[in-house]
Amino acid sequence: MITLQQITKTYRTSHGTHVVLNKLSAEFPERRNVGIIGRNGAGKSTLMRLISGAELPDSGAVVRRGRVSWPVGFSGGFSGSLTGAENTRFVARIYGMPVDRVLTFAAEFSELGEYFDMPVKTYSSGMRARLAFALSMAVDFDVYLVDEITAVGDSQFQKKCRLAFDERRDRSTLIIVSHDMSTIRNYCDCCAVLRQGRLQFCDTIDEAQCLYES
Amino acid sequence: MHSILVQIQVVYALVLRETRTRFGQNRLGYLWALLEPVLLIATFALLYRILGRSVPDRLPIVPFLTTGFLPYLLFRETSARAMHAVEANRGLLFYPQVRPLDLILARTVLEIATNVLAFALILVTYMLYVGNVDVADPLQILLGLGLAAGLGSTLGLVLCAWGVFSSAVERIHGPLIRPLFWFSALMYPTGQLPLRYRNLLTYNPIVHCVELTRAGYFSGYRANHVGLAYPFVWILALGFLGLLLERIARRRLVLS
Repeated sequence: MITLQQITKTYRTSHGTHVVLNKLSAEFPERRNVGIIGRNGAGKSTLMRLISGAELPDSGAVVRRGRVSWPVGFSGGFSGSLTGAENTRFVARIYGMPVDRVLTFAAEFSELGEYFDMPVKTYSSGMRARLAFALSMAVDFDVYLVDEITAVGDSQFQKKCRLAFDERRDRSTLIIVSHDMSTIRNYCDCCAVLRQGRLQFCDTIDEAQCLYES
Repeated sequence: MHSILVQIQVVYALVLRETRTRFGQNRLGYLWALLEPVLLIATFALLYRILGRSVPDRLPIVPFLTTGFLPYLLFRETSARAMHAVEANRGLLFYPQVRPLDLILARTVLEIATNVLAFALILVTYMLYVGNVDVADPLQILLGLGLAAGLGSTLGLVLCAWGVFSSAVERIHGPLIRPLFWFSALMYPTGQLPLRYRNLLTYNPIVHCVELTRAGYFSGYRANHVGLAYPFVWILALGFLGLLLERIARRRLVLS
């Protein structure tokens, strides 16, 4: 579904150029949920934005087949001054989905209740995550990019997410980044370790854990 | 073809969203945006009345000021809004199909709509006041306004992309735009000026937009010395430079 070809990404800071990803090549296996584990600052979120196409690499190419989601997390994508419903309408429109159907779905799935019609800036981070998750579920993606989001929300909501993904397992796959091994164990079939700008795929999650902790 | 449809979809969604974030939850917010140019023009018209001044050729003062102020304001507002389009909506670039250019386009569309609506509002009010209004060529008015918006939008694009590299850009916008208030033929017809000054002023593309708009309103208005070619060349040049800068800036843009 997704192939990365010789991707390099650098950021310029006041201390000079910082290389985040260095000639990274990878092919994501089809029909498997992939976890990517790495320390804080290893470039996980950058990698997600590159895979989604929101940011462009300095050099190299990302090849996508199928509909790939935006990086579903709890930071970007919402305007705080707009309500959950208004943010939902916007996402429905840019993905060309029927607005009413998406609204109904998102209101129900996110379980935000009356908060759905309140500005997003009044939300807790768990509530934001729930809205982001509900929105991504309302659009049918072939690949879901999930950025650390599953760690938030209470256990009941986490269970709901699990179920939702299990349900669409034969239609869509997941790419999750996390620094937490248990999240990846929960959702993924295989795992890759991101460090020093390289991505190493492992056959089993145990193997990835060994590599990550070494 | 498909990507054009997606882009239209995105720009449409952005325009709707922008009206919400900018004018707030109640409809009065939008009314205020409409009234701003109306009040400005009314103030100046009143000033003319009090000072007992009139416009050469005995042109009626309200349409004369309207055809001057609105293209200028459209240019000024569009360039300022476009310049900040990315900075104010950075979070939206998380959605891969939302491109910086869409943000600028959406703000331009909203500015044009507001400006044209303000124009219509003034015209209708004026018509109710004086009874009958003769507009020579409404399409040419739209052309003048369109060129002004095009200039604002492309200048905004250049400044917006440039702003990715240097934060000083934001500060040059005001000093760059403000003097144009006096040099854009807002309060005098350039056809009446000595040739030397007129030639100098016609280097300013806004003058062309203003005079074209006026010629679209007043039949027989002297505007042979202006044309759409000159501002159009400016739009092409600024657009080209802006797109070039955007291509370079795109890779440097950090989302979070």
